[in-house]
Amino acid sequence: MEAGLVAIGKGLAYGLAAIGPGVGIGIVGGKALEAMARQPEMAGRIQTTMFIAIAFTEALALLGFVLTFLL
Amino acid sequence: MNPMEQLPDKIEELVHELSVLPYNDMHYEGPPVGALVLTNYVVWLVIATLTVFVIFFLVARREQKRMSFAVESGKVTDLAPTSKFVSMIELGVEFIRDMAIDVIGPKDGPKYTAFLGTFFFMILVSNIYGLVPGGKPFAGTMGATVALALIVWVVFVFVGFKKNGFFGYMKSLIPSGVREMPLAGRIGLGSYIFLLEFISTFIIRPLTQSVRLFANMYAGHIILGVFSAFVVLFMRQFSVANFAVGTVSMLFLIIMYAFEIFVAFIQAYVFTILTAVYIQSSVHASEH
Repeated sequence: MEAGLVAIGKGLAYGLAAIGPGVGIGIVGGKALEAMARQPEMAGRIQTTMFIAIAFTEALALLGFVLTFLL
Repeated sequence: MNPMEQLPDKIEELVHELSVLPYNDMHYEGPPVGALVLTNYVVWLVIATLTVFVIFFLVARREQKRMSFAVESGKVTDLAPTSKFVSMIELGVEFIRDMAIDVIGPKDGPKYTAFLGTFFFMILVSNIYGLVPGGKPFAGTMGATVALALIVWVVFVFVGFKKNGFFGYMKSLIPSGVREMPLAGRIGLGSYIFLLEFISTFIIRPLTQSVRLFANMYAGHIILGVFSAFVVLFMRQFSVANFAVGTVSMLFLIIMYAFEIFVAFIQAYVFTILTAVYIQSSVHASEH
């Protein structure tokens, strides 16, 4: 019983933690694509910045991932 | 027998194989191994490090010879790398140098090329080794990635202290807009932001940097392993349904394998660029 509840909790912890960053990374990627389409000559700089932004957004999902191990 | 019934056992086996074990005993059971035991991940860490070291040592020596030869002959064209491999390595180093200049700045950037390059090539080579059947990336265990992230942590904190002084670096955690507020705002909002920034800079940064690398490599290997288990289990007994599921799994396995090669590059790149960003935020701490 308890093990089952822990398993459900783990799934919920990571699943819920992934919602926000999922939306966020989508926005980052979409906006970067938009920017690259408008100014193709800036594609290199935009890509670098995009990866940094994605990395920061992803951090929240990773905290949830760590939490599943700690539970 | 139904293949789905055997799947939990296979996955358990897979997770066991990906855990930290003594290098010569794949079926080790019992308590986690001690600090002095040579584990499978350490073996692959040593192999990856040696590969990078040998390649760069040989290429650097060759480039040096080339340089002295060009100085003697006095021709610029003699500086060009002679073989494709040397040229490739040079391209990789240039990529890191350009990234450092781009992120950290033209004045301080080139100094960190060696530091960033070491991380990039070590992680990249190790991740590629992890995709060879039987191989393992050292990033597949939390201990290795935490060690890497702690090295980065020590470096960016040290650079921050050296460039700005202890109080200057601590002060730079509070944005300049808040610092110019009236006294009540400075104390109220300032202490709150300081607390947030302190946690995010000194605790969250190494945590996420290590977990990101570990999670990506570990999850990637679990996915590859699960699809392989699907193929093996369903192809064992022939029936039309089993064959269909096995074929689709095989297709997905190939696609995921290609994706993992991409992930191996992207994670090495992300780790390196985040290191560069952290160093940049320490070098230019007083400006924001």
